[in-house]
Amino acid sequence: MRPNRRLFLGGLAALALPRPSWADAGSPAWLAAAKEGEDYCLHGLSESGESLFALPLPARGHAAAAHPEKPLAVAFARRPGTFALVIDCVTGAETHRFSPPPGRQFNGHGAFSADGRVLYTSEVVAEGSEGRVGIWETEGFTRMGEYASGGIGPHDLKLLADGRLIIANGGIQTDPTDRSKLNIETMRPNLTLISKGGTVLEQVTLPDLHQASIRHLVLTATGVAFAMQWEGDPAEVVPLLGHWVPGQAPEHYAAPEGEAERMKGYAGSIARASDGRLAISSPKGGVVQVFDAQGQFLATHARADVCGLAALGPGFVTSDGAGGICALDEGLRPLAKLDLAWDNHMVAL
Amino acid sequence: MRALLLTLALLAAPARADIAEAVQDHILPGMAKLQASAETLRDAGNTCDTKALQDGFHATYDAWMAVQHLHLGPTEEEGRGLAVLYWPDPKGMGAKAQMALLKGDPAKLEPEAFAEQSVAARGLLALERLIYPEKPLPADPCPLIAATTADLARVTGEIAAGWQDYAQLLTTAGEPGNTAFLSRTEARQALFTQLAAGLETLNDGRIGRPLGSFEAPHPERAEARASGRSLRNITLALSALRDFTESLTPDAPQTLAAFDAAIAQAEAMDDPILAGITEPQGRLKLEILAQSVTRLRELALSEVAPEMDVGIGFNSADGD
Repeated sequence: MRPNRRLFLGGLAALALPRPSWADAGSPAWLAAAKEGEDYCLHGLSESGESLFALPLPARGHAAAAHPEKPLAVAFARRPGTFALVIDCVTGAETHRFSPPPGRQFNGHGAFSADGRVLYTSEVVAEGSEGRVGIWETEGFTRMGEYASGGIGPHDLKLLADGRLIIANGGIQTDPTDRSKLNIETMRPNLTLISKGGTVLEQVTLPDLHQASIRHLVLTATGVAFAMQWEGDPAEVVPLLGHWVPGQAPEHYAAPEGEAERMKGYAGSIARASDGRLAISSPKGGVVQVFDAQGQFLATHARADVCGLAALGPGFVTSDGAGGICALDEGLRPLAKLDLAWDNHMVAL
Repeated sequence: MRALLLTLALLAAPARADIAEAVQDHILPGMAKLQASAETLRDAGNTCDTKALQDGFHATYDAWMAVQHLHLGPTEEEGRGLAVLYWPDPKGMGAKAQMALLKGDPAKLEPEAFAEQSVAARGLLALERLIYPEKPLPADPCPLIAATTADLARVTGEIAAGWQDYAQLLTTAGEPGNTAFLSRTEARQALFTQLAAGLETLNDGRIGRPLGSFEAPHPERAEARASGRSLRNITLALSALRDFTESLTPDAPQTLAAFDAAIAQAEAMDDPILAGITEPQGRLKLEILAQSVTRLRELALSEVAPEMDVGIGFNSADGD
């Protein structure tokens, strides 16, 4: 079935439009990296969790960035990343592949500008983990430049509508060759707001939670919600979700006692539903926790090795290490299951 | 005839044995014993007889150690597991909250109000502070003891009852309508994860927290020192995980032998509250035990996991 569908969709798009748009892409709703046997791959998924295309990855993937208009996306290697693949989401074919310049490593996330002409990538200087934002044009994906991310070990980054950028500097210095953490006692993560030109406009830290690595972001109506990973004493239970409106102090959204512990100090992904609810996932705890838009805890949902999260309908969708894709609203409802392990993120297209 | 058919069915489908046996032989009996011992302890709480309380405390703690590695379903929901045992508590939140209860409004000791108190102020270690006090208590502890033991009986009763239903989800994994476990592999994976995680948390927690570093050992961080249970809990955790492993697969000889060796090491330590780890000899023994547990986890992954056709969770194994 799959090749036929792909052929059909590809053929249709080629006939109908010289420059296909997202509407022609057979509606892959998400991109998700996976491990299939011993191989790594990337799937385009429909809203029912069906795989519309799959392509091999040279190594383990992490997240991706979707072009705002054209049906193309860039998938990033897991940090320390050496590759990014540009994917035609109509055919599922890889159209470009690019690498960070010498001495830089991709950190798994990136974002397109609103007009799609520029791609920003989260990077580190390999020695020392100083953060950089890589700037790429998107015709041939050549590098145009870079600027400082404003911290150590940046991870996720998001573009605001006006072109300013918010980046989560996770604060962790890692060994350039493996992933060992070198500065847990002194780490100091931050959220940084950067102008289109690369000037740091504002920066906030978490004084009480300097060992909470800020890693993943989702835009909200007024700012950005952030998910954290606790590197301090595991016996200490800390909030793993927060919200920052530039110009104000960041707020923490805490789950109540008895529920907070279930996250095991680790939030792996974050998503925002159409009604403003926020969800964070913990593969280590095998749970997703949902909060309302004001940060009130709503519920914990259990699913082993769950990590990928995105919005779906009125609620969310999850992916997990057992190959499951589940809808999540009042409860978890399995949509599909493949014989593979879904990796950290589901990226909405 | 029925027995024969059942035997044949089991022979024909050996993969079914692991889930059903773990449930029947390990999980449900353990939960029933936990509930029963907590009920006996509650009765002792009503009389406030010290000897009966201490006996009941140890029996309930022992029963908890037999199932505490099962961080699933009803044990995890509503903070129940934490309400049985809140440890570690590095900031001493439990003692502070409990002191307020001891000297405060008796209405807070009514069952419904008490159930709303912090998990740090409830459970086995809360009871330990009352029946093995380090210094004289500022008020009569009997009302708080009665409330604490009644709450333990309630919570363990909920855990045991919840596990009856959750066990059904495990044994019917992959069947239509079971949205908790979409395949039998998922149920086996969930069980194996408890084994691997149980070994990891034993090393990080009960062994690792007191062990600290060579320069800075922390015997005061050991679990349940006042009642002299620190080493006993380590031994019991190992025995429980051994029993669990045996129920999961009959074919893990290396892992079971390594469990036996580790249990023997623990039993030979003769250091009930790990006070000896400040001396090089005593420390070495606990370090060797820690290495044995590390090795046990590796064996579980290399021997038990393939037998069960599972692995370690892809996303939970490392972070990003």
